[in-house]
Amino acid sequence: MQALLHAIVEPGFFADGAVQTAAALGGVVAVVAGLIGVFTVIRSQAFAGHALSDIGSAGGSSAYLIGLAPLWGFVGISVLAAAAMERIGVQRARGRDVATGVVLGVGFALASLFLYLGMTYHNASGEIPTILFGSVFTLSASDLPLVMGLGAVALLVVLTLYRPLLLASVSPELAAARGVRVRLVGGAYLLALAITVALCDLTIGAILSTALLVGPAAAALRLTGRPHRAALLAAGISLACTWLGLLLAWDSFYWPPLRHGWPVSFFIVTLVLIAYLAAGALARGQTKRG
Amino acid sequence: MRSDIISGIVCAMRSGTTGPFARSAALAAAATGLAIAVSACGGPAAGAGAGAGAGAPGRITAVGAESQYANVISQIGGRYVNATAIMSNPNTDPHTFEASPSVASTVAAAKLVVQNGLGYDSFMNKIESASPSRSRRVIDVQTLLGLPADTKNPHLWYDPTTMPRVAAAIVRDLSALAPAHAAYFRANGRRFDTTLRPWLQAIASFKRLHAGTPVAVTEPVADYMLQAAGAELLTPWVLQADIMNGVDPAPQDVSLEDALLRRRRVKVFLYNRQVTSTVTESFLKLAEQDHIPVVGVYETMPAGYSYGSWMLAETRALTAAVTEHRSTGGL
Repeated sequence: MQALLHAIVEPGFFADGAVQTAAALGGVVAVVAGLIGVFTVIRSQAFAGHALSDIGSAGGSSAYLIGLAPLWGFVGISVLAAAAMERIGVQRARGRDVATGVVLGVGFALASLFLYLGMTYHNASGEIPTILFGSVFTLSASDLPLVMGLGAVALLVVLTLYRPLLLASVSPELAAARGVRVRLVGGAYLLALAITVALCDLTIGAILSTALLVGPAAAALRLTGRPHRAALLAAGISLACTWLGLLLAWDSFYWPPLRHGWPVSFFIVTLVLIAYLAAGALARGQTKRG
Repeated sequence: MRSDIISGIVCAMRSGTTGPFARSAALAAAATGLAIAVSACGGPAAGAGAGAGAGAPGRITAVGAESQYANVISQIGGRYVNATAIMSNPNTDPHTFEASPSVASTVAAAKLVVQNGLGYDSFMNKIESASPSRSRRVIDVQTLLGLPADTKNPHLWYDPTTMPRVAAAIVRDLSALAPAHAAYFRANGRRFDTTLRPWLQAIASFKRLHAGTPVAVTEPVADYMLQAAGAELLTPWVLQADIMNGVDPAPQDVSLEDALLRRRRVKVFLYNRQVTSTVTESFLKLAEQDHIPVVGVYETMPAGYSYGSWMLAETRALTAAVTEHRSTGGL
């Protein structure tokens, strides 16, 4: 038993401070992303989520330029971009991708400017890969209260608006007929989405963070049609992918031929894809039996 | 021709640092239609001595890819050489430097180029092959020292044995370019070697008194100097390389470095002033918390120093950290 455990978990994993911090921070972010992500998928806003996360690279790099923690930049720019998308018209089904694309373009332009300034005048070149691809093992335990607080805000918004949000997501016309202020609810959700995306930016990086937001939720929605069940399932899948990803990244340090440690974000995102494919296979099996 | 003249004027107006001389040189050149004035503009990355007086009659135009090499060229070339540095901004990470068109024209006009090699300034090779010249002499320090291409640490100028050999090569090449001044260059070469003596003595005395002092670093910037001084480098190479290459480091390596600082197993923490990130800053914070003296080191020569005085200042900062427990964040 002991030998088996050692074969799967290389020594020192549970005792390591960086791993404990990464597991706590990554765990909180994974749960929030899973819960919020279900609505992103139901509302078909995956592209908006992806755009918000990519734009986060502008926030992360600008925060580093002025000496703030990257998380503040991720949150600030994502919320601003979400507001811009709302103004341009991300709520309408028609032309929504265009509004998102326009804001995304501006976000990348800003990111290229800030990254250039950071590299040229502010010795920040070491920070760029961390902003783009994340580095969950290098996060500090002192970030935990802030991450938990932001996650709680996002969850609170969605929980408070749960029923009207669900109705407005599935059928905006019906929701409006029932007196739901569809645009307000949608705007509030966009805020929660922006915060969630910023948290994902912190753990697996601005480029990869949509995977954690959309992947587990999409997998869960393949397995169940009930939103609250799907949300809990997505949180579970997301948490499992994150923690297993941490373990594989730790173990990869001992793998031949490199013996160098592979990037943790790669493992998390790959596991999310595997979960999505497995959920598809499982769902097909269920429909055949039924 | 016209566009060259215009860019000469534009770049002279843009580069406030190169001073009125470059501006008037460019304007004069524009008036006479000499496109060569473009080389008077070193671009924003070129700092000390950039192009000042480029095109002055009888002077050899020379380029040092990094400011330390340009400094050695001008110490040896003296009044017969104009040396321009390509990378000299201490806030820029040299590993990510991208050459601008003005850098290309500076290199194209140069008769002598000194570059580091080992992939540190590979953009120089591209620029040189883009403007081939039979009369240009290129000193590639890696080749000069006979180092294999897989040498892991490119920061060769921190090795006390490097620059005397580079200086000798510069004396040789300048003498070939201007044989009339060969004796002058030789005398300057000897003088340069004597300016390094205080530094070599500081290293020797550190080795005598403090050999085996355990130290931690973020990047291999000053590793050659630390080895020459007999310090014991405890940071794993892979972590140094990851930070230098901007790669996400393995948690095992980060934990090891954390433990070195937290358990005070090192007496000094040296970090690269020119490349910082959340990882290096967390190490810096730990070192400060645990009262481990910190020494900031530079990849390119900071302003106000010559090569010898810069190296001496770095070694003195290391010594002060060990003997007086004093931190030197920046020079």
